[in-house]
Amino acid sequence: MQIRNSINMCRGFMPMIQIKEAETKTSKTETINTEKPPVCSRSKMSINIRDPLIVSRVVGDVLDPFNRSITLKVTYGQREVTNGLDLRPSQVQNKPRVEIGGEDLRNFYTLVMVDPDVPSPSNPHLREYLHWLVTDIPATTGTTFGNEIVCYENPSPTAGIHRVVFILFRQLGRQTVYAPGWRQNFNTREFAEIYNLGLPVAAVFYNCQRESGCGGRRL
Amino acid sequence: MLSSAKHQRNHRLSATNKNQTLTKVSSISSSSPSSSSSSSSTSSSSPLPSQDSQAQKRSLVTMEEVWNDINLASIHHLNRHSPHPQHNHEPRFRGQNHHNQNPNSIFQDFLKGSLNQEPAPTSQTTGSAPNGDSTTVTVLYSSPFPPPATVLSLNSGAGFEFLDNQDPLVTSNSNLHTHHHLSNAHAFNTSFEALVPSSSFGKKRGQDSNEGSGNRRHKRMIKNRESAARSRARKQAYTNELEL
Repeated sequence: MQIRNSINMCRGFMPMIQIKEAETKTSKTETINTEKPPVCSRSKMSINIRDPLIVSRVVGDVLDPFNRSITLKVTYGQREVTNGLDLRPSQVQNKPRVEIGGEDLRNFYTLVMVDPDVPSPSNPHLREYLHWLVTDIPATTGTTFGNEIVCYENPSPTAGIHRVVFILFRQLGRQTVYAPGWRQNFNTREFAEIYNLGLPVAAVFYNCQRESGCGGRRL
Repeated sequence: MLSSAKHQRNHRLSATNKNQTLTKVSSISSSSPSSSSSSSSTSSSSPLPSQDSQAQKRSLVTMEEVWNDINLASIHHLNRHSPHPQHNHEPRFRGQNHHNQNPNSIFQDFLKGSLNQEPAPTSQTTGSAPNGDSTTVTVLYSSPFPPPATVLSLNSGAGFEFLDNQDPLVTSNSNLHTHHHLSNAHAFNTSFEALVPSSSFGKKRGQDSNEGSGNRRHKRMIKNRESAARSRARKQAYTNELEL
């Protein structure tokens, strides 16, 4: 099938999707993964390698390849965050409105907001910086219904253009999550592993740089 | 302006006296009468009465401290102007004054040009400042000379003479002016380096550059490339987002 061919062309991933499975799935943009495909087919099969998350190396630096299964809508004021949107610190000072999809209110989700480019994209030795952590968000609702473990800290990069990523994980049930001792050097992958969150179900990122732009004198 | 110039000169006269320049704050405030009293000073160097040798010694000591912090560049420049601080002769002063005048004015102009900051007109040389006139002139002198000699070192070149005279002022005002100095120093350093590429300074650079320049350039190139790649990725991600 053509889908299979396109899958095989995915670089860097393990395109081991069986045709049967591919056929049963519906839309191209969102596939609901009710079961994990056999072997290591955790590839972004539904969205090709031109997915902004891959191109911008969010998948790679922060996350492993995954499939989107829940809608995630992040809004700062009037602006909805789309991948690669450019925002300035003044526009992201207050926590955004987050709306997640899903159907069953009994499912709970965890939202993580990190900046993998701290202190500067060319030297990110403090990767990642945890800006926000909210757990126990019921499906179809937003972060206001969740448990804010780490309060929102607005990004204010001093050097370079930083990616700021929102990641949504599905929880197995209500669980207690402990805030890390500090925000920097956070590791999303490890965090997901510790709390058994598995792969992300949704992610979106935007770019943030200094108010006055990069380059020029830095005093 | 004439008066201020006069004051300046007088200040110079008294200042150049080793004795006077490197006196302690207290002494500065107390003294005054002996030297060009009329001048009053520009706070920085207050006239110090006698105690030539002592003052000299003291001055030497303080000088040493300053010297230790100053790198080759400043030393080189200092040598050029060297004997000035060491002698107390009147005619010399005159000459020095004259000599100083030029660098002063040039320096000031330069400073005004490069640093768009008002040298904090704190005539706050309070305790240290003897009498009154803490003129903007002195402040101007002091402002570019951050007390931390390390910073000064990069600047000192032509300004080292000033340092001499300004020493007490500088030390006393250190707290007040640090931030000014630092910020000034930054601007000053870059421009100064451009202005006066001293040989010693170049020498120091040269030793490193021979070995490291290639590496540095290479690293720089790699960093640039990475940055360019990130930039391209960013642009591509945005474009893809729009398409998909």
